[in-house]
Amino acid sequence: MEKITNFFKTFLLFELVKGMALTGRYFFARKITVQFPEEKTPQGFRFRGLHAQRRYASGEERCIGCKLCEAVCPALAINIETEEREDGTRRTTRYDIDLMKCIFCGFCEESCPVDAIVETRILEYHGEKRGDLYYTKPMLLAVGDKYEEQIAKDRAADAKYR
Amino acid sequence: MAKIEIDGKQVEIENGRTVIEAAHLAGIYIPHFCYHKKLSIAANCRMCLVQVEKAPKPLPACATPVTDGMKVFTASEQAVKAQKGVMEFLLINHPLDCPVCDKGGECELQDLAVGYGSSASRYQEEKRMVVPKEVGPLISTKEMSRCINCTRCVRFGQEIGGIMELGQAFRGEHAEIMSFVSNSVDSELSGNMIDLCPVGALTSKPFRFTARAWELSHRRSVSPHDSLGSNLTVQVKNNRVMRVLPAENEEINECWLSDKDRFSYEGLNSGERLTKPMIKQNGAWQEVEWQAALEYAAKGLRQIADGAGAEHIGALATPHSTLEELYLLQKLVRSVGSDNVDFRLRQSDFSADGKQAGAPWLGMPIAEINTRDRILLVGSFLRKDHPLLAHRARDAVKKGAQASIVHSADDDLLMNVANKAIVAPDAMANVLAQILKALAAEKQAVVEASVQSAEVGSAAAAIAKSLASGERVAVLLGNFAQQHPQAAQLQVLGQQIAALCGGKFGFLGEAANSVGGHLAKALPRANGMNAAAMLAAPRKAYILLNVEAELDTHNPQQALVAMKAADLVVALSAYKHQATDYADVLLPIAPFSETSGTFVNTEGRVQSFKGAIKPLGEARPGWKVLRVLGNLLNETGFEYDTSEAVRDEALSGVDVAAQLNNAVQGVALETAGAGSGSLQRVSDVPIYSADAIVRRAASLQNTRDAEAPCALMHGAELSRLGVHAGEQVKVSQGEGSAILVAAADDRLPQGVVRVAAGHAATAGLGAMFGAVTVEPITGGRA
Ligand code: SF4
Ligand code: FES
Repeated sequence: MEKITNFFKTFLLFELVKGMALTGRYFFARKITVQFPEEKTPQGFRFRGLHAQRRYASGEERCIGCKLCEAVCPALAINIETEEREDGTRRTTRYDIDLMKCIFCGFCEESCPVDAIVETRILEYHGEKRGDLYYTKPMLLAVGDKYEEQIAKDRAADAKYR
Repeated sequence: MAKIEIDGKQVEIENGRTVIEAAHLAGIYIPHFCYHKKLSIAANCRMCLVQVEKAPKPLPACATPVTDGMKVFTASEQAVKAQKGVMEFLLINHPLDCPVCDKGGECELQDLAVGYGSSASRYQEEKRMVVPKEVGPLISTKEMSRCINCTRCVRFGQEIGGIMELGQAFRGEHAEIMSFVSNSVDSELSGNMIDLCPVGALTSKPFRFTARAWELSHRRSVSPHDSLGSNLTVQVKNNRVMRVLPAENEEINECWLSDKDRFSYEGLNSGERLTKPMIKQNGAWQEVEWQAALEYAAKGLRQIADGAGAEHIGALATPHSTLEELYLLQKLVRSVGSDNVDFRLRQSDFSADGKQAGAPWLGMPIAEINTRDRILLVGSFLRKDHPLLAHRARDAVKKGAQASIVHSADDDLLMNVANKAIVAPDAMANVLAQILKALAAEKQAVVEASVQSAEVGSAAAAIAKSLASGERVAVLLGNFAQQHPQAAQLQVLGQQIAALCGGKFGFLGEAANSVGGHLAKALPRANGMNAAAMLAAPRKAYILLNVEAELDTHNPQQALVAMKAADLVVALSAYKHQATDYADVLLPIAPFSETSGTFVNTEGRVQSFKGAIKPLGEARPGWKVLRVLGNLLNETGFEYDTSEAVRDEALSGVDVAAQLNNAVQGVALETAGAGSGSLQRVSDVPIYSADAIVRRAASLQNTRDAEAPCALMHGAELSRLGVHAGEQVKVSQGEGSAILVAAADDRLPQGVVRVAAGHAATAGLGAMFGAVTVEPITGGRA
């Protein structure tokens, strides 16, 4: 029985018709292609893009140099050096993230006890030469300063699921 | 012996031991905080609660002695409930912010909270706060709020350090660890309290917040400072030594470390490190490549050896250099035909040279000090020169030993010293002769005529009496006695005293490789010159290994003159130092952390270690530098590939144990108590001035022990000079003088001035012993 069906399918071009039918269906369906950069896909508040270092409202940097993110980072992308600041607190003298190594797993954000290192919604960043994507502490703080409002809103939205 | 059962395991242990010890013996862990194997039992943390059959309530394992047939359960429902409860209470007042704490990652409380606590606290109320107090440059108490009042630190001070510098004040919730009325913690063993603290309440100031425990690699090493050879765990990150902790070795340093060993690493990272070879040309220093520097040195040495003669070359090394370095140095010098090599830079009496039976050593294993019942210390600033040997002596005294001391200063040894004879340096030999005579009378033995002529004073008689009644006597000669101008006399007398009471006689070695220097033969043989002779009769060329001539020698004045007069000074050093004034070639060599090597400690234990990190900049291990220098001088026998090869050659055919011998023969005794009438200098080498590394350890230099040297005199002496304590005086010796602040110390004998050596402020003075004059400076109040 199966042999006979196959025999007819072969010379009646059944597979071809089946394929063309699928093509035809999509040909007339509504298009979902996003015209980047004019158009953008929607993002969730947990989106994990470019990193930022946050500050408290007082302007004090949040990071306490506990190095948990450095320890947890599976790509070894974070490099931290610390010292005791005048006021007796531990602060970083160096906080670098090599975005070329980073796999955007978000563990650093997850491990941070003070919500200092976060991943923002920014995904459109680039570097023009080697080293441009090696983000240092001032660069990260600058990102944080610029997008603090959005960052804070996203954390607030996520808070109730934690 | 008691047979007990812990969690179903049978353990047999002596009566009188505790349940926690039995559990550890059986390999069962019982959580604990206040218990520490080296400290007394306080049983105040209650973390070690276990269930014991037939006991109605859980019992603290650390304070419960074993009884035969006891059945212990460490993980039963009752025990676990008790542990959980205790942990909840401990955490009530403990801040729960481990990420900001320096102890995080290596904290006993953190670990046990994870293992034995519950996940949430029910405590909502306010936590206790402790206002931090300043206790000195080494320990930070900034986070005293974290203290769980286990009192380990307090007990350490009382029982090991010998001085209770931290105590618990107030009661109940207000109980707080503090120093007495804002005193600082000055003990030379204080760093151990940081290790002992199970939480982050006591932290290391130099290390604080510079790294986290998990990012440090641990490398084993051996201390390059005192002659104990303490075992170290050097912790490194990014090719930098971040801190040093003890490595446990029951026979040497137990689980302790002196502050010198612990904090000296700061000197390794000092900005004064020499990182490029340099040569002086037309009076100006130039950085050059290794090849050029070594060729320059080799050419210069060759010229002098061929021209003036090899005996015009002298080599000096510090006893802090490794066995390999010392061995290659002597091999190098001997291969060019000179016998002038020495490492005993602070020694002044060489009359026993050639008469010694072997290398002077402790005369017994280090651990045996604890078991002595009579200890006679001759000329030793024991606490500062050998902090951990002082702890062992203290332990012996606590167990009932009687300690006596013959010395020129009476510093507090933090233990009961039964008898003291504190006399001027030139009377020390006489006091020993008195003791010998009195002892001979007690033992009905005969002594030499020169000893017979001594008149036994009351102090000597008391010491002799104490020694005569001992069964396990130790007579130990300290650094001061070895540097003494009558060192050989003291040695002979000490030896005879020890022999008369059937005890042991030994030297508290001056530095990490004092014994190793002898094994490496880095001292003159038949016709060579010793350290003092080489400086007294200036040579044309010097090779200096780790030596800072102005600080490391017995007579800095003379040393400087000799250096400046020399045609060629080749300095192998890890640091830029005053050698820039007199040297012609500076070769950067690696300190102990950056080279492999071997130290032989005072009990004759050969300890090799590897480099913990790579040498800084262009610095290279000393043994490699000396090897290449040997090659460049076209000498054969310098084809080593590893430091192990050097060590094996140095020790091949050497039976170290057989080499250790304190006996000396053929030194004639002259024990007449001198009495020159003039003021005599007594000098100690302050604990943090003893070698190049500690001199550059910033935090140690801020301690009390590193305060600028004073001219210490007996009160009567001060008034005789018409000086008040606190006024400036001019101390002159030989051609040099130093302006120092006069201070009173009534524990000093009259007729002496105590002026520290090894310090820049006194480097202008002459020998460590001898006549000095002190004049008041008019109107010079400091
Ligand atoms: S400071 Fe540390 S060692 Fe001392 S009592 Fe407190 S917790 Fe114990
Ligand atoms: S360890 Fe037993 S009570 Fe503290």
